Amino acid sequence: MMEVLYDAATRIRSDRVNTWKENGGRVVGYTCSYVPSEVFHASGILPYRIRGIETESMEIADAYFGPYICTFPKCVLQLAGKGKYNFLDGAIITPGCDSMRRLDECWRKAGDTIPGIVPPFFYYFDVPHKSTGHGSRWFRQEIVNLIAALEQQFGVKVTDEKLHDSIRLYNKGRALLKELEDLRAKDVVTISGTDAFAVAMAGTAMPRDEYTKHLENLVDELKKKKSKSKDTRKRIMIIGSISDDLSLVQLVEESGQAVVVAENLCFGVRDEGNVVDESGDPVDALGKAYLGESTCPRMYGKYKERLATLKSIIERSRVDAVVMQNIRFCDLHGSENGLFERDLEKEGIPCIRLEREYGPLVETGRLRMRIDAFFERLYSHPSRQETVHDMEAV
Amino acid sequence: MRPEIKEYNMDWMLSSIMMAASKTADGSEKEYLRLLEYIPYFSGILDPIKKEGKPGITFLKMFSDYLENIVTAHDKGKKVAMTTFCFSPSILYSLGIVPVTLEVLSTFAALMWKRGTADYLDFCTELGFTETACSAQRGSLGAYLAGLGAKIDMVVCDTPGVCDTNANAFTFAASYLDKPYYQLNYPQTLTDGRTSTYHLDDYRGMIEFLEKTTGKKLDLDHLRGILEEIKIQDQLVADLDDMHRLIPTPLPVLYNLFIYAGRFMFAGYPQYTKLLTEMIEASNERAKAGESGLRSGKEKLRAFMCYIDHYSMDLKFFDWMDRKGIAHLGGILSRTFRDNSSYLAQLPGSGYAIDTTSFESLINSVAQMNARMPMIRSIRGPYDRPGMALDETLALLKMFNADCVIYNGTPGCRNTWGFLKPFSMELEKYGYPTHIMNTDAFDERVESWEVSQERLNEFFKIRGLL
Repeated sequence: MMEVLYDAATRIRSDRVNTWKENGGRVVGYTCSYVPSEVFHASGILPYRIRGIETESMEIADAYFGPYICTFPKCVLQLAGKGKYNFLDGAIITPGCDSMRRLDECWRKAGDTIPGIVPPFFYYFDVPHKSTGHGSRWFRQEIVNLIAALEQQFGVKVTDEKLHDSIRLYNKGRALLKELEDLRAKDVVTISGTDAFAVAMAGTAMPRDEYTKHLENLVDELKKKKSKSKDTRKRIMIIGSISDDLSLVQLVEESGQAVVVAENLCFGVRDEGNVVDESGDPVDALGKAYLGESTCPRMYGKYKERLATLKSIIERSRVDAVVMQNIRFCDLHGSENGLFERDLEKEGIPCIRLEREYGPLVETGRLRMRIDAFFERLYSHPSRQETVHDMEAV
Repeated sequence: MRPEIKEYNMDWMLSSIMMAASKTADGSEKEYLRLLEYIPYFSGILDPIKKEGKPGITFLKMFSDYLENIVTAHDKGKKVAMTTFCFSPSILYSLGIVPVTLEVLSTFAALMWKRGTADYLDFCTELGFTETACSAQRGSLGAYLAGLGAKIDMVVCDTPGVCDTNANAFTFAASYLDKPYYQLNYPQTLTDGRTSTYHLDDYRGMIEFLEKTTGKKLDLDHLRGILEEIKIQDQLVADLDDMHRLIPTPLPVLYNLFIYAGRFMFAGYPQYTKLLTEMIEASNERAKAGESGLRSGKEKLRAFMCYIDHYSMDLKFFDWMDRKGIAHLGGILSRTFRDNSSYLAQLPGSGYAIDTTSFESLINSVAQMNARMPMIRSIRGPYDRPGMALDETLALLKMFNADCVIYNGTPGCRNTWGFLKPFSMELEKYGYPTHIMNTDAFDERVESWEVSQERLNEFFKIRGLL
């Protein structure tokens, strides 16, 4: 079971994608967690979150993107240029940030010189920066337009009934992931952060029905798992820029001093978003759920809400310390991490800010050294949980 | 931040300098020449502006007024809003709010002070704001975050969906200073009805926010007056554009800076109308005589800045163009995109109109105008017309008979660096040699002017342009 999930989480073209394609299935890639996967599922299309892993060089991306651009979209373009995404029947670009938005131009332009790398369906899905009123209306219409475009391009019919079925299936997955999060929040953690992150990521790159079954089995298995008597590892939360790379979580956990009990990254559990209302108009429900909470710093002016979300996760998962990372040139996460650090440290929650390049095992040595130093800090002081416990005893 | 920098507020320092500078024309020439001996660090910027004659003096006075408004705002019972250059200040003025436009302050601090804005830039980083963020905002943002400026009452920006690094600076400021915040947010489209409705709805939301924050009602008559004045100003800018088409252009290099800086500070106000009128008068005289606006009198080449200018100390970039005999054809900052502009003939349906006949038309006009401010219009996409930044640049290049294109920006400009290479490839295909400056327009520590100049010289030499 974990092998299947790991395969989907760590390979661009996993066995599941291969099987799907061999059976004549269509795959549409998307670049942002604001794109409602249910719409594709209801169209009989496999939604696939486009990733940057497996990048080995950057010569194609550097020919189109300038030097001061986040390496994630660069890796995506590089992979596209190398033909790694040739299995996609479509790609959806969103204005997650300036760099991701400009992936649209660069990918299209690269297609002029490298034939075949632009999928036949190349679609721009506009996500507003505010979630109520006209922002919400705009987003709803974008979903309607996307459905119409899919119907036209792929000759499918997306009915309300199909959308409701898809919403129910995705909600089941969301509920299971919530259970997984609750298990991770327990005193003794029965699944490593690396495994949990892989499990969540797999959901973005494999058929949902199959994924849900695996998830169900995994959660059942974890519930039955006998736990160790005491877990003295520090409980870590990872937040920040886009990260689809397990090695970052591994790096935090590999010394055995810490376990990652929660993340707030746009891959992972956050990608699953909110539970979608299963009654009423499905498009309304999707719009409300996907745009609803301003979880990403691209939703400007909602810092306090995001801080509150972080604090509630910290409380729920009894987090000892927070690792805040941002990819260089990701000003949105980088700057917000600065504010988070100020406000969380004030409350006695140790934080470390890491600026890094995106890419598998890039800068591992430097990051390991900084994380080790951070652990020294954590172990030289009583943990937040211990302090709370001591105070309660007094 | 160095202790001596904390002695005075940034805006107050700029205001004091500009107030003195604006008075230099009141004395005799002899007095002025003597003064220059006493201001070695400011003469490099003061003298070229003053040499532009009436428009130069009006510009100095206008900038001085703008800064004085900031430093005296609270004493006069006015609220202060931190905002951005591509936000039309007209709505703020209509509510008695004084705009602190970060980029305007960053620009003039970089042009005036040998130290530039380094201390303020770095202070932002010390607070947790990323060093990779755009220096156009950071250059003065640091001062306000450090409390070295007029107290900010609210933050208003209009760049989400257009320029994330810009929007991020304002949202950071609002969170850090814990001030009320409103973002005008733009869709990725520009020309359809659905987008226009969004512009309007969002703008209405902003008016509500401003009224609530100030406790005042929007003064419609004031706004109408401002828009009527903008109508005149847009026409004057269009006249200047027409004169720019002449070969040689009668417009001096510095006029471009005057056009956009004036607009960002006082769009809809008589000071700006006066400035534009004086520029037209001076240019008309040169045009009639067939003279170039360049000091050498000889126009060798016509260059189009496809993004922004370079604000190294003492206007060195502008001076270099002038010395080289290169006419500055402006860029996206100096264009209005009013529906009757000549260049919009090739870009139908993408400009804005001004209609002041009713409340609805008034609000719609200002909302649609704001959606077409420099940068807001040019680099937001738009994806209803892929290639619009290119289309619009090509239209302007053709209209102004440009010989080449120069890009300058900041390393913080994720948006332009995200499309610049494909964009410049296309420009080259159309026969326009394009030079990409790897500088920071507001921070010479990234690349010194001497190096930038050397690279510009190389470009013009290698491409056989000069």
